[in-house]
Amino acid sequence: MSDNTVILETKNLRKSFDGQEVLKGITTTIKKGDVLALIGPSGCGKSTFLRSLNLLEIPTDGHVLFEGTDLTDRSVDINQVRQKIGMVFQQFNLFPNMTIRENIMLAPVKLGKLTREEAEKKAVELLARIGLSDKADAYPAQLSGGQKQRIAIVRSLAMNPDIILFDEPTSALDPEMVGEVLAVMKELANDGMTMVVVTHEMGFAREVANRVMFINDGVIQEEGTPEEVFGSPKSPRLREFLSKVL
Amino acid sequence: MKRKKQILCLLLAGMALLGAAACGQSTAGTEAGQETETVQGTETAEHTVTSVDDLPGARIGVQLGTTGDIYVSDYESDGSGTVVERYNKGADAVQALKQGKIDCVVIDEQPALRFVEQNGGLRILEEEFTLEDYAFLIAKDNEELLEKVNGALAELREEGVLDEIKKNYVGAESEVGKYPYESADVERPNGTLVVATNAEFPPYEYYEDGAVTGMDMDIMRAVCDKLGMEIKIEDMAFDSIIPAVSSGKADIGAAGFTVTEERKKNANFSDTYTTSKQVIIVADEDAVQAGQTLSEKFYNSFIKDSRYMYLVKGLGNTIVITIFAVMIGIALGFLIAVVRTNHDRNGGFTVLNAICKAYLTIVRGTPVMIQLLIIYYVIFQSVTINKLVVAVIAFGLNSAAYVAEIVRSGIMAVDVGQFEAGRSLGLTYRQTMGSIVMPQAVKNILPALCNEFISLLKETSISGYIGFMDLTKGGDIIRSVTYDALLPLLAVALVYLLMVMGLTKGVNLLERKLRSNER
Ligand SMILES: Nc1ncnc2c1ncn2[C@@H]1O[C@H](COP(=O)(O)OP(=O)(O)O)[C@@H](O)[C@H]1O
Ligand SMILES: [Mg+2]
Repeated sequence: MSDNTVILETKNLRKSFDGQEVLKGITTTIKKGDVLALIGPSGCGKSTFLRSLNLLEIPTDGHVLFEGTDLTDRSVDINQVRQKIGMVFQQFNLFPNMTIRENIMLAPVKLGKLTREEAEKKAVELLARIGLSDKADAYPAQLSGGQKQRIAIVRSLAMNPDIILFDEPTSALDPEMVGEVLAVMKELANDGMTMVVVTHEMGFAREVANRVMFINDGVIQEEGTPEEVFGSPKSPRLREFLSKVL
Repeated sequence: MKRKKQILCLLLAGMALLGAAACGQSTAGTEAGQETETVQGTETAEHTVTSVDDLPGARIGVQLGTTGDIYVSDYESDGSGTVVERYNKGADAVQALKQGKIDCVVIDEQPALRFVEQNGGLRILEEEFTLEDYAFLIAKDNEELLEKVNGALAELREEGVLDEIKKNYVGAESEVGKYPYESADVERPNGTLVVATNAEFPPYEYYEDGAVTGMDMDIMRAVCDKLGMEIKIEDMAFDSIIPAVSSGKADIGAAGFTVTEERKKNANFSDTYTTSKQVIIVADEDAVQAGQTLSEKFYNSFIKDSRYMYLVKGLGNTIVITIFAVMIGIALGFLIAVVRTNHDRNGGFTVLNAICKAYLTIVRGTPVMIQLLIIYYVIFQSVTINKLVVAVIAFGLNSAAYVAEIVRSGIMAVDVGQFEAGRSLGLTYRQTMGSIVMPQAVKNILPALCNEFISLLKETSISGYIGFMDLTKGGDIIRSVTYDALLPLLAVALVYLLMVMGLTKGVNLLERKLRSNER
């Protein structure tokens, strides 16, 4: 599914909080069309790693390259780069004071990527795609968790990103709503979207991801295809982790 | 609907209070000596003053900073148990005397005569307290002006002009008002003489038809005619005059200043232009009170000489100060809040943040009145600046500090995920704050913000301290000419109340409208 165009690359990425090193040198490459699932025990640094990819966390050391541009270079306009990197949060983070339509239109219009009319059209299109056309003028508070997260996904899609980062997108959902969100993500993956997904949904990782990365204690403990990681885990840590979550 | 009724009730209550208080006062007056007297009588019985010898141990009322104040202060520390109550206005002291809160008032003879004339149940003791000389006050380093003023005074005395002016105000009954000073038509090439006064001291200085007039003012006009100068009269609090003159805000102080050693340390005095006495006013149990009816009082306070215009003009000024101060407060307050939150979250703006913090500490740690005085007398000491501008700046800067902390708490209350969502979409810091965080923060803090502005509106009532005529000062001016404290005070209170209620209602509507957009 993936071709050889490199979208994101980290080199020896390190991050400390108050002298406490959380990421201890992570080097990896994400290619176009990759769906990379990040798994690992709570507190191991998955979110920190993900958030370093669009510099919501500023790395303490090492490099993050997006399509060849080193984001840790201070002269880079990070806002420009972030337009191409979508992000979906565990808590949705929809804007509660705006309608769904406004939520979707805000960034493309503010950043001059689309005119109001174009953005409006795009919003209608995206909402139709996830079957929520009737919610265009609703406010986030009127939606269920699953609906909110699907809106959050299309909100990031409205910017036409080259990659989308997901931080536990289904962890805040009631179990019956997990499926609808995963379905949207699966569809995205099938359409060839490059995705990095922090997840506890091993079924999703196994089925949708083409690569699985097990992070433990701030380093990549083990990495491979879903078959390799779930079928024949090598490190005892991974085995222990899988025995708990599966 | 319910709110409308509430407002109506409040209004009615206000009116009732106004009427009841006024009636209560006039009955107490007209029936002096009868049953109602007994209540007041028991209160005043503590210490009866019939001569100067009775002053030790008495509760004495004076106007703050006057020579009466200076003289009786000696009794305070001599162990006789004397209590000196210092009022901002002579009229307030007289009011307190009428209510039995104090035993006597020591004050200059001329205003004393007026007070007694206007208020029944008071009399002046035969024996004067002291004799004293009045002179004008000029800055220590301005010997040149001192000489010129003394020269002009000497000429005016020789020509008999000085006597005429004095007769016009304090002469025999047949003479008073007969010699109004007409300014001469002369060239005025020598600049402007800024005269600081406190126009609540008739007949020396007081308001008439919206302008400051009186004996001192007429003499000042005559002096300016001699010196070929324009005159500009600045009305301010009595105890602000000496600082104003020594700081150069005003050239000369003309406010019935008695020459005292203490004052000589801070300023020079011109030659004496008149003499006066300090006298003692006491309650007069036997006097038949010429009490005014409520409608007479109302007429005197508001209708006569269009006195209500003082309130109208004052109200206009109060509104103008508040509006502009709110604008400064919002602009600066939001700026400070953004700097502070940016620092707290991202560690940026270290220097600016430190400046903001110091600013907040100072402004919130000192009374707004002191800030107003400092801005007027210290910061803008050497510039002639419109008092409206000073008030707007002072209240704006003050309000900004409170707005800043309210806004900061509002920003902090917006989930950080909102900020991250905005930034992750590629919006800049400013766009994220402007389109996502701030609208939510503002909605959160709207009630607190509006409360801040409502208290700002009320705080502007201290503008009178720099002699600016806001609503409160407008009421004070009426009080100082009618000697009736009650109606102007209640009217002023009612106007503030109505404004605050109107604002509160507006805020509630706005809030409801904003809320209906959500959920
Ligand atoms: N802003 C922060 N300040 C201090 N410590 C943090 C911060 N963010 C994360 N951490 C710490 O870093 C470690 C990794 O956190 P995180 O990346 O959220 O883990 P995960 O997503 O794998 O559960 C945790 O110990 C967490 O407490
Ligand atoms: Mg996490």
